[in-house]
Amino acid sequence: MGWITGAAPTQAQLDACVTCGLCLPHCPTYRATGDEAASPRGRLTAMAAIADGIAEVDETFAEMMSFCLQCRACETACPSLVPFGRAMEGARAEIAAQLPGRRRSARRWLVGSAIANPTLVGAASFGAAVAQRIGVGRSGAGTIGKVRGLRRLPLRSSSTRGKSWPARGVPRGTVALLSGCVQDPWFAEVHEATISVLRAGGFDVVAPPTQACCGALAAHDGAVAQTRALAAANVAAFDGFEYVVTDAAGCGAHLKEYGHWAEGGDVLAARVVDVTELVAQLLDDGQLPEFGSRGQRVAVQDPCHLRHAQRITVAPRRVVAAAGFDVVDLDPSGRCCGAAGMYTITYPEMSESLGRAKADEIDRSGAAVVASANPGCEMQLRSYADEAVRIVHPIELYAAALQGRD
Amino acid sequence: MSLVDDLVAALGADRVKAHPLELRVYDKDAGVARGPVAAVALPESTAEVVACVKAARTWGVPIVARGAGTGLAGGAVPTEPALIVALTRMNTIHEVDLENRTAWVGPGVINLDLSAHTTPMGFHYAPDPSSQSVCTIGGNVGTNAGGPHCLAEGTTVAHILAVEMVTVDGEIVELGGPAPDPIGLDLRAVVVGSEGTMGLVTRVLVKLTPNAPDVRTLLLAYPTIEGAAETVSQTIAAGIIPAALEIMDRPMVQAVENFVHAGYPTESAAVLLAEVTGHPAAVTAEAGQIERIALQAGTTEVRSAVDAAERDLLWLGRKSAFGAVAQSAPDYYLHDTVVPRTRLVETMTRLYEIADRFEISMLNVFHAGDGNLHPLVAFDGRDEGARERVMEAAEEMVRVSLEVGGSLSGEHGIGLEKRDLMADVFSPIDLDAQARLRDAFDPDGALNPGKILPHGSRCYDFGMQPPLSQEPAL
Amino acid sequence: MTDRHLDQLIDRDRVDPSPGMRESATVVAPATIESAGATLAAASAAGATVRFWGGGTHQGYGHVTKADVVMSTERLTKVVDWQADDLTIVVEAGLPVAELEVLLEDRNQSAVLPELPGSATVGGVVAAGVSGYRRLRYGPTRDRILESVLVTGDGRVTTAGGRVVKNVTGYDIPRLVTGSLGSLGLIAQVCLKLWPMPKRAATIVVEDAAAATRVAYRPLAVLELPDRSAVFVAGSEDEIAAQTRDLGGTEQEGLAWPELPSGEWTGTMRVPPASTLEAVGRVRAAGLTFVAAHGVGEIHLAAGSSSAASFGELRSWAEAQGGSFVVTGRPADDGLFDPWGSPPPSLTLQRRVKAAFDPAGIANPGILPGGI
Repeated sequence: MGWITGAAPTQAQLDACVTCGLCLPHCPTYRATGDEAASPRGRLTAMAAIADGIAEVDETFAEMMSFCLQCRACETACPSLVPFGRAMEGARAEIAAQLPGRRRSARRWLVGSAIANPTLVGAASFGAAVAQRIGVGRSGAGTIGKVRGLRRLPLRSSSTRGKSWPARGVPRGTVALLSGCVQDPWFAEVHEATISVLRAGGFDVVAPPTQACCGALAAHDGAVAQTRALAAANVAAFDGFEYVVTDAAGCGAHLKEYGHWAEGGDVLAARVVDVTELVAQLLDDGQLPEFGSRGQRVAVQDPCHLRHAQRITVAPRRVVAAAGFDVVDLDPSGRCCGAAGMYTITYPEMSESLGRAKADEIDRSGAAVVASANPGCEMQLRSYADEAVRIVHPIELYAAALQGRD
Repeated sequence: MSLVDDLVAALGADRVKAHPLELRVYDKDAGVARGPVAAVALPESTAEVVACVKAARTWGVPIVARGAGTGLAGGAVPTEPALIVALTRMNTIHEVDLENRTAWVGPGVINLDLSAHTTPMGFHYAPDPSSQSVCTIGGNVGTNAGGPHCLAEGTTVAHILAVEMVTVDGEIVELGGPAPDPIGLDLRAVVVGSEGTMGLVTRVLVKLTPNAPDVRTLLLAYPTIEGAAETVSQTIAAGIIPAALEIMDRPMVQAVENFVHAGYPTESAAVLLAEVTGHPAAVTAEAGQIERIALQAGTTEVRSAVDAAERDLLWLGRKSAFGAVAQSAPDYYLHDTVVPRTRLVETMTRLYEIADRFEISMLNVFHAGDGNLHPLVAFDGRDEGARERVMEAAEEMVRVSLEVGGSLSGEHGIGLEKRDLMADVFSPIDLDAQARLRDAFDPDGALNPGKILPHGSRCYDFGMQPPLSQEPAL
Repeated sequence: MTDRHLDQLIDRDRVDPSPGMRESATVVAPATIESAGATLAAASAAGATVRFWGGGTHQGYGHVTKADVVMSTERLTKVVDWQADDLTIVVEAGLPVAELEVLLEDRNQSAVLPELPGSATVGGVVAAGVSGYRRLRYGPTRDRILESVLVTGDGRVTTAGGRVVKNVTGYDIPRLVTGSLGSLGLIAQVCLKLWPMPKRAATIVVEDAAAATRVAYRPLAVLELPDRSAVFVAGSEDEIAAQTRDLGGTEQEGLAWPELPSGEWTGTMRVPPASTLEAVGRVRAAGLTFVAAHGVGEIHLAAGSSSAASFGELRSWAEAQGGSFVVTGRPADDGLFDPWGSPPPSLTLQRRVKAAFDPAGIANPGILPGGI
């Protein structure tokens, strides 16, 4: 039957792979299994087999594709510049279309609808906040155990949407903030830090009221219509801003690919910056101060969607160093932590083994603080790292330094 | 019962693959050929490998060992429905013996992982194929893999002291040993490079090489590729054996630079990477000597890597070369011939002539210090007649290499791809001797059949007497 | 073919026995590789056993065998092709090593074969699989045999490998024949990889060879003798000065290679490199003369008839380290002492490989470990 949707991997994407195999060791699932079928090359071969009519989209194909973390570490390793992430999104769109009954229940609903719905996210957050207070989840496993990964939540959260904050001093421009799906209730401090630093750097900050969830998780899961609708809403909401700032690497990576998802998406994509990118620029321009070393080590964890998808590695280190910390790298610094969106729920074992490996790396680094620029990674790190280790967004460290706090 | 049932009984269902799509991903390596796969097994121990061999023998299915599948000659591509035994999960570094500078490792250990493991201890594993971040030690043993730094250090066989191998009968035998020159025939040397036709290697005793106290990496740019080749010839003739001497031509440099952004000079006709390692007291002088030779040969730019990061980036570019070709066309085909280093310039000139005549796009990246060429032709297999034209040109290129006294393969192996060219290099008597040697290990032809030797290599395949030396009657 | 055919071939190539040839056997010296092939084919057909003879220096290796015919390489001495700028040379087996090295010296090159070869030929060194002291720096002889022409036991002239420095075209028969002691047939011709020789070389006398091995950077050799130890280095003036300084020894111009120990009994103990120090202790305790190559694990030794009694114990120890103790010279009347010790675990395969090249079993039968 081959492909049946317009979202399928394109022939050009599949042809770009010459099967050299240089991606293999960078793929966490190949590393763990040694199985070609769990490697980027193997997955592209499987997609090509569908395209060539040699195989069908069946449960085996779906499983092969779903097992991928979509960390895109293969992309940075690929000398042929294969757009693997795009091809994988296409393959998942086909699976969603051709095998509609596959795991229809909780997961797709969660990904496609719930997370994009502020009311539902708010309700879940309230539940989690209560759970934290009554002590559920510290030792739990599975989904409940993930509560351990959350920051301590307020019982009542407020949204940034529709609000604005003026620059300190003479404004040099206006930036839009992506409020995101879970950032408001779960990572309010990160938004606060982002806003305060950007204001100090001379920007008016606006969180447009009509913005939507970025749609990254929907895209990763092949929910094409949902992805397109969210992208269209955001293209309209963010029209006209000089920069669209995100403080969640996964959102930024997806916004930067809006050209594939919505009319005018490429215009928006070109203006998207990760907050660390923008702040590093402001530091370079002398618009923000740098603080001297206080002799404390901070390990920088590279979220895959920052390092591999956006190719940003210098900026977060720059920001952490400017806050007065000694930056240490995790080794290997390019390996996925296993968070990978909903992967913690769909493949808990693989996710856990990657999480534990990352925790070991943190342990070896000897750092008491880890800076991660992505909420999913942050939760995963907090779930597995030693409880004494503090997990923060790089911008929080800098914001604190700016305000003279530790 | 079936082969798959037996394998599942021995390994468990998770590590046995039989779905057509799962077989599909194992039916080729990094080269161009595909082959039929009956089943795939991923054993984790020598005992499990024995079980795989016995199951395959019981069901009369041939056995093809596989590492990471980065081979370029089809060595791991079956010629008839075979059991693929993927050894990637046997990736334990069992024991590092720093006193003796050796390590026992599983065949699935990734080449670069081994060096990464031992480098902090002051040692590394010297053979460094371009695919070293991916390829396995077992695969390296199978092909007798090379790499840029084999110029001074020798290829894989010089770094393998012993192997544990499962024979075609399912017996475990150790060949070689930790002391020099083990007594008896050196079967270890025969197994290295035998592409899985003599047994399945399940443990390897490798030699570790001390990290060089000093390294100098030079990037030399030339207005002509002949100038780069001339520098190599003259360096060797002057009695200098650098750690590595690698040439890339302009199209290759451009593709590579597009990926690594290492500041490769993309406008030069050719780039020579020369690396000198050794005692700090010697490295500067030797690098200076190479620089003088290069200037005489017309180099227009001399750059010395300032630190390890820059050196690593330059090497990442070199080692990503084959993959980068896809930027210009979806398919590529390359050869791996070796020519005497005195004939480099002449050979290169003739290769470009062939490429021009066939109107094909050729990129060059090669281990110039060894005379090991990799003329690489980028093409689109869907274009009418493209594949045929490329193959015809490639064959001519091989003949040019053989004409000047070269060999078919320097490091990729013969596999499937060059098998039928063996008769251009060796006489029927020579091939018969090789076939006999192989039969001594695998009389039934159950291990990776159809590889290395062309059909009919045993003269009595045709009912002929083995040819004896012919002399006029007395 | 008949015995008569073999007799004709023998008559054509017959020469006088060289001094030292153990049996008063028939000796032939073929003038061409093809002639050697014809003779071996005839010998296979007739079931006549053949021993090969180069310079006679390694004839003490292996089990004592009986040979109906001795085939000498004394007429196969050509330099076939020397590509000096490519650092390769093709020579026939009977060329004496000393002559080859003199020739190569003209271009500051070396085949890095044993430094004090005596009358040894290239073929003999390859067949015996012996290496010079400089193997620490340049690797064993086996790693420099690029191409071999082997006349198999049944008389087929087979070429393997190639005349280029890097090659994986077909099975590695050149390395297989190295150390095969004529058990597969006559090694008639080889292509050798050459190394350029640095202009300066020096011998640095040191106190502690084991310690020097850890300090020296890629020396040619670190040798310990009963009464002295030295590090042999080569390179630029600066490098030698720096190495001398690092080692804290005294430098002497040139390379003062020691002769291998000689005595009624000779042998070589081979152990993992780090065991060299302990091996030396044991050899000293047994009162033997020796040259120990640190970093390699090769200890050449010699003994008179009284101290040879310690050989058995030394062998047990060496084998327990994963090594061997090979007796390479013994009194002519003592054929009982096993020159090899415990045979390798791959005997079945070894036997099959021998048979693949020498189906009639006439090429030095029984010389290898396990009587192969």
